[in-house]
Amino acid sequence: MCIKVFNSVKALWEGMWTVFKHLFKRAVTLEYPEKRRKLNDAFRGKPLVEGCIGCGICKRVCPAGAIEYEKNEDGKVVFYKFDLKKCIFCGNCAFYCPKGAIKMTDEYELAVQDKDGLNLVYKGGAEND
Amino acid sequence: MTTTRLKLNLGPQHPSTHGVLRLLLELEGEKILSCEPDIGYLHRGMEKMAEKLSYIQYLPLVDRIDYLAGFFYSELLCRIVESACGIEIPDKVKVIRVLMLELNRIASHLLWVGAFLMDLGATSPYFYVFREREMILRYFEKITGQRMMYNYFIFGGVRKDIEFLEDVEEIISVLPSKIDDYEKIITDNPIFIRRTENKGILSPDTAVNFAITGVNLRASGVDYDCRHTDELYRGFDFKSIILDGKDAWSRYKARILEMRESINIIKQALDYLKKSNPLEQRLIPPINLKLPEGDYYAEIEAPRGLASCYVRSDGEDKPYRLKWRTGSYYSVNLLRRILKGEYLNDAIAIAGSLDIILPEVDK
Ligand code: SF4
Ligand code: SF4
Repeated sequence: MCIKVFNSVKALWEGMWTVFKHLFKRAVTLEYPEKRRKLNDAFRGKPLVEGCIGCGICKRVCPAGAIEYEKNEDGKVVFYKFDLKKCIFCGNCAFYCPKGAIKMTDEYELAVQDKDGLNLVYKGGAEND
Repeated sequence: MTTTRLKLNLGPQHPSTHGVLRLLLELEGEKILSCEPDIGYLHRGMEKMAEKLSYIQYLPLVDRIDYLAGFFYSELLCRIVESACGIEIPDKVKVIRVLMLELNRIASHLLWVGAFLMDLGATSPYFYVFREREMILRYFEKITGQRMMYNYFIFGGVRKDIEFLEDVEEIISVLPSKIDDYEKIITDNPIFIRRTENKGILSPDTAVNFAITGVNLRASGVDYDCRHTDELYRGFDFKSIILDGKDAWSRYKARILEMRESINIIKQALDYLKKSNPLEQRLIPPINLKLPEGDYYAEIEAPRGLASCYVRSDGEDKPYRLKWRTGSYYSVNLLRRILKGEYLNDAIAIAGSLDIILPEVDK
């Protein structure tokens, strides 16, 4: 009985001490949004397209049906749209694009007031509208 | 004195059901007479979706079946496609996959330790495990691009070569001492022992009858770990953790020991990867990928028990039918049996000890 009590107190004390020691450690959290951590290059955020030739592969690998594009008579891409309401940021489109035209940027704060702002339209597959 | 029978809804929104599980309990006083789990609150139609999407479109979605252990499910789907196409993946890819799977297993178990302790009312360990889990998730983010929805394994290989091995080295050098810390706080704590020892006894027979797998089964003394027969883990030296306490405490201890064992596997994988050549792999072209007609099956030891995937293909570019087997589904069913005769205040501790994760149950 005595030993049991002793062991229990010892275990409790050890636990308390371990927790107590943490008081003197540096904080590991950041005060978001004042401070942000640095993201790495591989991060998959908002997609961006530049230099698309309109082969259609991205559309076929996209699980969410978030991609739409249009070509004119000459076969040039005149309209390219990501629907961020549907996009799940899986990165399939960027991985399979034969031209490397899609980049996943590190932008992740995508909340908007107006939901049309979530349609990313790129004219000519080049510049951001 | 007379007591009346009382029906009590535990959940679906309850701080200690991880996700949304509703337990309909019948009580006499504080004693549980029967328990009826009600699932489906998190149903997303994962199996039906597969019938509408091509294999490559479906691949990013399977990470979401179990968001704490996404790699295991991508691995299953990749395995099915690879075996159907008759492709043998290179050794380096295998080792990369093992590394990622085991890190993922540790991350999943870590979160469980925190959540379980939270269920029992201890808050500090919760923050400590998140701190360590964060190291692993940061590493995943560096390699795959996201913290939880990895989409990294791909038919025939992995998306890109492994990098930043020094981060893994740091993780496995820091982790053992941190696990020691948890053990100091938790393992011998008399309050913890009182609340878990001899609670939720799961006899080997019941476990087998209820198709329980994984840590829960091994903590009941049954030696079943399908990593030993897994082609992927061939050449790795590790042992499975078998305890025969059968109670909630053993399930806790088994998970702690399993994390240590996973660190062992990761060390071996690291040794291989540090000496290896740059990655060479032959990916399966995803456009117009059709599996030959037939049935395909793959299984793997996931953190919450045996996970498997069954695909029937009729030769089209989409599966005719796809079925997932997930460990937690069976653990939820077990609650009917294991909670019977226990007290209400132990119900959460017992349910927590089974490591139930609801997205995996509802799919
Ligand atoms: S990231 Fe994924 S969901 Fe988003 S547009 Fe590309 S393929 Fe579609
Ligand atoms: S973005 Fe790339 S994959 Fe998509 S249509 Fe253009 S060139 Fe093809």
